[in-house]
Amino acid sequence: MNFREAWRVAVQWGGVALLLFTPLSGLVLDGYRVVFFWQRPLWLAGGVFLGALLTMMLLQASRTPRMQRFFTRMSSGSVVERQSALPVWQGLLLFAVAAGLPWWMGHYWLNVMILALIYALLGLGINIVVGLAGLLDLGYVAFYAVGAYGYALGSQYLGLGFWSAIPFCALLAATFGALLGFPVLRMRGDYLAIVTLGFGEIIRLVLNNATEITGGPNGLSVPAPTILGLELTRVAKQGGTPWHEFFKVAYDPSVRSILIYLVLLVFLAMLYFFVGRLQRMPIGRAWEALREDEIACRALGINHVTVKLSAFAMGAAVGGMGGVFFAASQGFVNPTSFTFFESALILAMVVLGGLGSNGGVVVAALTINILHEVLREFSDYRGLVFGLIMVIMMIWRPRGLLRIRRPFFPVGKAL
Amino acid sequence: MSGRRWSVVAAILVACGVVISAVPAGSAGGVVRIGVAGPLTGSYAAFGEQLWRGAEQAAKDINAAGGIDGRMIELVKTDDACEPKQAVNVAHRLVDAEKVKAVIGHFCSSSTIPATEIYAEAGILAMTPGSTNPKVTERNLPTVFRTCGRDDQQGGAGAEYVVQKLKAKRIAIIHDKDTYGQGLADAMRARLHALGLKEVLYEGLTRGEKDFNALVTKIKSQTADAVYFGGLHAEAGVLVRQMREQGLQAPLISGDGIVSQEFVASAGGPRFVENVYMTFGRDARKIYTGRKVVESFRKAGYEPEGYTLYSYATLQSIAAAMTATRSEQGDLLAQWLHSNKVDTIMGSKAWDAKGDLQVTDYVMYRWSSDGTYQEAE
Amino acid sequence: MNGYIVAQQVINGLVLGAIYGLIAVGYTMVYGIMGMINFAHGEIYMVSAYLAAIFLALLTGAGLHAPPILLVAILLLTILFTALYGWSVERVAYRPLRDASRLAPLISAIGISLVLQNYVRISQGARNQGIPTLIEGHLRWASADGSAFVQVTHVQILIMVVAVLGMGALAWVMRFTSLGRACRATQQDRIMAELLGINTDHVISTVFVMGAAMAAVAGLLVTLNYGSFDFFIGFVIGIKAFTAAVLGGIGSLPGAMLGGVVLGLCESLFSGFVNTDYKDVFAFGILILVLVLRPSGFLGHPEVEKV
Repeated sequence: MNFREAWRVAVQWGGVALLLFTPLSGLVLDGYRVVFFWQRPLWLAGGVFLGALLTMMLLQASRTPRMQRFFTRMSSGSVVERQSALPVWQGLLLFAVAAGLPWWMGHYWLNVMILALIYALLGLGINIVVGLAGLLDLGYVAFYAVGAYGYALGSQYLGLGFWSAIPFCALLAATFGALLGFPVLRMRGDYLAIVTLGFGEIIRLVLNNATEITGGPNGLSVPAPTILGLELTRVAKQGGTPWHEFFKVAYDPSVRSILIYLVLLVFLAMLYFFVGRLQRMPIGRAWEALREDEIACRALGINHVTVKLSAFAMGAAVGGMGGVFFAASQGFVNPTSFTFFESALILAMVVLGGLGSNGGVVVAALTINILHEVLREFSDYRGLVFGLIMVIMMIWRPRGLLRIRRPFFPVGKAL
Repeated sequence: MSGRRWSVVAAILVACGVVISAVPAGSAGGVVRIGVAGPLTGSYAAFGEQLWRGAEQAAKDINAAGGIDGRMIELVKTDDACEPKQAVNVAHRLVDAEKVKAVIGHFCSSSTIPATEIYAEAGILAMTPGSTNPKVTERNLPTVFRTCGRDDQQGGAGAEYVVQKLKAKRIAIIHDKDTYGQGLADAMRARLHALGLKEVLYEGLTRGEKDFNALVTKIKSQTADAVYFGGLHAEAGVLVRQMREQGLQAPLISGDGIVSQEFVASAGGPRFVENVYMTFGRDARKIYTGRKVVESFRKAGYEPEGYTLYSYATLQSIAAAMTATRSEQGDLLAQWLHSNKVDTIMGSKAWDAKGDLQVTDYVMYRWSSDGTYQEAE
Repeated sequence: MNGYIVAQQVINGLVLGAIYGLIAVGYTMVYGIMGMINFAHGEIYMVSAYLAAIFLALLTGAGLHAPPILLVAILLLTILFTALYGWSVERVAYRPLRDASRLAPLISAIGISLVLQNYVRISQGARNQGIPTLIEGHLRWASADGSAFVQVTHVQILIMVVAVLGMGALAWVMRFTSLGRACRATQQDRIMAELLGINTDHVISTVFVMGAAMAAVAGLLVTLNYGSFDFFIGFVIGIKAFTAAVLGGIGSLPGAMLGGVVLGLCESLFSGFVNTDYKDVFAFGILILVLVLRPSGFLGHPEVEKV
C-alpha cells in the first residue's frame, strides 16, 4: 500500500480546502467589518484532509477492485434482455400497496406523497423530451404552469371542473409545446436549451404581470375536485353538497387528498405503462434513434420534424396534466411555483433516475421528494446536501440509479 | 421487468415507512404545542428571525409565569422560505405530524393565504403577526387573525402623508410585483385617486435584480417629486441608492417591508437612506408595558425591531384566549377573540368580525443619515 | 422626447451591457472549449463579491486606506481566491465527468451552484451585505439651464473600460499566445490535441481560472457600483449573462461583449420608454427571435454537421 501517495494527495486537498474555506467561513462580514472564526475553516479543511486520506487508502485496499466491479456491473450502461413474462402480479401488488398507503400514513405524508407523485409524472413527461428524444428542455416548467393556470383560469372563466380540466390542460399544454417546438427544432443542443429556458421565463413573467387576468403575484384559488357533484370541502363552494353532509358523517379534511392521490396514482400507472409501450413502437424507436444520430435518421427517411414535435407535444401534455394535479392539491397557484429552479429540479430527477429509464425516473422522483422532507429537519443544510448529492451522483453514477434495460428481439431470418 | 427493479422500489417504500414512523407523533400531556411558521431561509430570513425571536421570548415569559393553566407552551419552529408550495407543506406538517393547537404565522402574505386554508380546514387558530395583505382576512375564515394592520390602511396612510405633509404633486408608484408589494402599491394608488391625484408612473421592478437605473431615469423624466415603493428592503435600498446617484433627491416612501437595519445595508450605507419614509405601527418599544420585554431582548444582545414584538403579542393573545376558554379548539378560541380584549405588550388589542385589529395606528417614520429611523412629524 | 433622457438610458444600457459582458465571457470561454454550460459561473461571481467585501473589510481594518493601493490589493486577492474557487469547481465537479453524457456536467453544475449558494448563506448569513463606497464622483453634461443632465459615475466608466480591456486581453491571449493556441486546439478536437502532446486537462483548468478571474473583476466592480449584494445575486445575473453569451454567439469572446451590450440596451431602452414590467419578456423574446433567424447568434460560427 502506498501511504506516501495517499498522504501527498490528502495534504494537497486539505491545503486547497483550507484556502477555500478561510475567507468565506473564517471571516464573516458584519457590516463593514469582519468577525473572525478561525476554528471553522480548520475543522472543514481537517474533514477534507481526512476524507481524502481515507478515500485514497480505500482505493488501494485489496478488496476494492472487486467491489468496484460489483457496482459497475449493477449500474452502468444498458443491457438488452429477453423480457420475461410480464410480472403482472408484481405490478399489481405494488399498485395495491401504493393505493393502500393513504389509509396508513397521515395527512402530512400523504401530501408529500402527492407532490412526489406529481414530480414522478413530470419526470416521465420530461423523460420523453430529454431522455428519449434527446432535446434538452430547460423550460419544462412552462408546460407545468400552463396546466396549473389552465385549470385555475378555466374554472374561473369557463367553469371548468377538475375532471374536464385534465384533458383540456393536456391539450392546451401540447399546443404550447408544438408552438414552441416548431420554430426551435432547427436548433441543436444548447441553443435549444437556452431558448426553452427563455420560453419558460416568458410564461412565468407573463403570468406574474398580467394581473387583470391571472391575479398576478396574488395567484388564483383553485376549486377542489368533486365526485359526482359531491364537494370535498367543509362548506360547499361550487354549488354542490359537501360529501360529509351527504353521507352524514364527520368532516375529515384528508378525504380530498386521498382522492387526488388515488387519481394521480392511476394516471401515473397508466402513463408508465403507456410510455413503456410507446418506447417499443416505431415512434419511440425513432425518438431514441434521433437522439443518437440525427443525420443517419434523416438519411434513413425519418421525418425529424414530426418526430421531434411529437416528443415535445407529448412531454408538454404530461407536464400540463401534472400542473392540474398540482393546482388541485395546493388549492392555490401563484407564479413563484414555476421558476427556473423547478425545471432544474425536475431535470435533476430524470438524470438521477437514468435518462430514458422510466422506472428509474419514478424511483428518483420519490426518493428526492421524500429526502427533501426528511432533510427538512435540518432545513438550513437542506440545499447544501441536495446540491452535494447531485454532484456526487453524477460522478459516482452518471447513468443514473438504475441500469437501462432495452427489450430484446430475436434476430429474424434474412429476407 | 425483473425482480431487482421491483426490489429497489420496495426498498424505497420501506424507507418511506421508516421515515414516516420516525416523525414525532402528537403532544405529550401538560404541554401546549404551538407552531411558528416563517421564512427562516431565503431572502426574507431576517423577518423570519424576528417572528421566531418574539415568539420564543414570549413562550419563555409565559411559561415562567405558570404557562397556560399550568401547562407549558412548546413552540415548533418551521420554515416556509416564503414559498407558497413550502408553506402548504409546512401547514400540513404542523397540523398533522406536529399536532399543534395554534399557529403563529406565516410572514409573507403569499404564504399565509394558502396555509391558512389548511389551518381553517383543520379547525386550528392561525394568527399572523406580519401578513398585511387584505385578502388574508377577507376569505370568510373565522379562525384566521392578525396582529398587524392591513395594506389598505397602510397604503392609505402613506398616500395621505405624501399628499398632505410632503405636498407632493407628481408621484411615481413602483412595486416589486409580489403579493405584498403590489398590494401595498395598489392600496396607495386607490387612496391617491380618492384624494384627487393621479400618479405619473406606475410600474413594477423585478425582485432579485440590482440594476434599476433605467427605471430611475424614467422616474426622473417624469419629474416626480415623490416616489412610493411597495416592496421589501433589498430592492428599496438599491432603488434609493440609484435615485440619489442619479441626482434624484425626491423622498422615497414605503411600507413596513423596509423596517430592518438590512435596508441600510442594501442601500450601501446610511447616507443614502436620508429622506426615506415608511409607515409602520406605533413603535411598541416605547409603549409602557413593552419596555421590560425590550430590556430583556437587549440584554440577550438582540434589538427587537420590526415584527419581533408583534410576534410576542401574538403568542400572548393566543395564550390569553386558551387560558380564558380552557380550550384549544379553533372555533372556541376564535369566538372568544372576536368578543374580548387582550392586554399585550403592544397595548390592548381587540379584533373585528373578520379577524382584523379594531384599531390600527399607522405612523410615518423617517430614516436619517445615521442609519436610524424616528417618527416623522 | 427629451434628448438627455434618451442619452441617459443609452448610458444605463451600456453599463448594464458591460456588466453582462464581463460575466458572459466566463460562460463563453468554458462553452467554447468544452461545449458545456457552466451553470455555476453565476455563483462564482457571487462568491467573488463576498470575497471582495471581506478583503476590503480586512485591509481597511488593518489600516490600509489609500484608495488606489487598496483597490489593487483587493482586486489581486479577489482574483486569486476566486480563481481558486473556479479551479476547484472544475476539478471536483467537471473533470471526473469528461467522458460522461452531455447532461451529466450540466446537472453537476446545477448541484455545484446550489452548494455554493447554500454554503455562502450558511457561513455568511442570509442578510443583505453592503460595501462602502470606494470610488466617488461622476461626469455630468448638463443642459444650458442646468435642469437636465446626463451623467455617468466613475465606477461605471471603470466598468466599461475594464470590460473592453479585459475582453481585449483575453482575445489577445487566445489569438497570439501558445496557451491560446492550445485552447483553440483543444476546442477543435480534444483527442487530437492530446495526441499532439497538449495537456488538455491543464488547458481546461486554465480556462476555468481565466473565466473565474474575469468574474472576480466583475464581482469587485459591480459590487462597488451597486453597493450591496446577497447570496442570491449570482442567479439572476448568471441567467442574463448566459443569455448575452448565447445572443452574441456562444464561444466567441467579442460575441459575448456584443451580446451583453445588445441585451443591456434592449432592457434599458424598453424599460425606459415602454414598460418595466415586461422588460425581461422583451429580452428573452429578442433572444428567441435572434436564435430562430440566426441559430448561432450574432458572431457565432454556424455549427457544421459532421457525419
